[in-house]
Amino acid sequence: MPGYYDISDILMEDEAVSVVFHVGANGVGLLDPGTETNSVEKGAKIDLPFWLAHELCRRRAVSITIPSCFGQKMKKDVQADAACVDLGTRYPYFYEFGCKLFPLVGDKSIGPFLRHTFANRYKEMLSKSHTASLNAIPKFVLRLSKEEYQLFEAARSSMVEFKKWRVRDLGLMKTTIVGHKRKTDLH
Amino acid sequence: MAGQTDHSISIFSAAEVEFIAEDEMIEIVPNIRMNALNLLCGDFGPFLPQIPCTVPLWLAVALKKRGKCSIRTPDWMSVEKLTQVLEAERESPREFQPLPFHYVEISRLLLDHAHDDIPEVYMVRSLIEDIRNVRFHKVESGLETISGRTHAVKLKNLSAMEVNLVRPFMARVLQAFYKHDSPEMVQQADTSASKRPQVVDRGPRRDLRPR
Repeated sequence: MPGYYDISDILMEDEAVSVVFHVGANGVGLLDPGTETNSVEKGAKIDLPFWLAHELCRRRAVSITIPSCFGQKMKKDVQADAACVDLGTRYPYFYEFGCKLFPLVGDKSIGPFLRHTFANRYKEMLSKSHTASLNAIPKFVLRLSKEEYQLFEAARSSMVEFKKWRVRDLGLMKTTIVGHKRKTDLH
Repeated sequence: MAGQTDHSISIFSAAEVEFIAEDEMIEIVPNIRMNALNLLCGDFGPFLPQIPCTVPLWLAVALKKRGKCSIRTPDWMSVEKLTQVLEAERESPREFQPLPFHYVEISRLLLDHAHDDIPEVYMVRSLIEDIRNVRFHKVESGLETISGRTHAVKLKNLSAMEVNLVRPFMARVLQAFYKHDSPEMVQQADTSASKRPQVVDRGPRRDLRPR
């Protein structure tokens, strides 16, 4: 289990998953907004935060249904164009969540699906992240999940720092080189 | 500073790499007379006018700033050699040409402080820039080929500053790929246990140069 103290882990576990109760539970009617008595029926479908669902699943009290972010629609989106899928706003914890969910749910295809998504998006991200400048945030950054954003940030900050170091003492003289920029085609 | 921003992946700032590079030896021609310097890192012989001697780069730059010497350009920094290197870099799409490990830092320091000692300084500067760009593009295109099975990436003849540039990104990418790959390999072996015994495989090593 990574990071008891890891903030992004804690935040990630707050995601809601839909579960189906195997047993009835008393005194926790708070979880089900539609119940009259203070209890949850067996077979009820409830949305729980992931940390709770994880524990209950381990005790075999519930079974987790796959959330929509790993469902068919998402798979079709990824197959169409992985780089355009907007993970940043909808599912920022896409990868971490998937990795945690994977052992609990019966669907074995989530793992390869995650990797496939990541591999495709990674290629697009690679070139863009190194050339992005400090101020202009390209739009695609908003589409990255938290994990991908860290990668992007690592590349960009090291690139920016290197550029700053280069120009440090020269001031204006560096502009003579900028004109020499030509795209070297290696293929 | 080293390791400040992220504890899991320690990075050096560019200034630190430059500091390490300043230990390289370089030839100077002093124009004053000075006694020998006995330093912890070594003894640097008595300085006589117009007699060339070898000193560390930091000492050379310090003397140059005070106008006490002139720096002799290292061999690899001549226009002919650099043009050769540039052509060779452009021709081989996956190999890196052997260059001094700290060529970026050394060239920058010399171009800053000793530009009157270097013949054809503008040509040299633009050549080094071009070489740097070509090599960086090669690094990027090589990184594209990393897949989940990569355990290590081999980059031969890469210089210190270039390594420092891609270090955090590459380390994290390899970590991410490893994290995504290993449980699934185990899971898939469980479901297809009849196929073949699970071998602890090393995966094909991704070289960025042809073997």
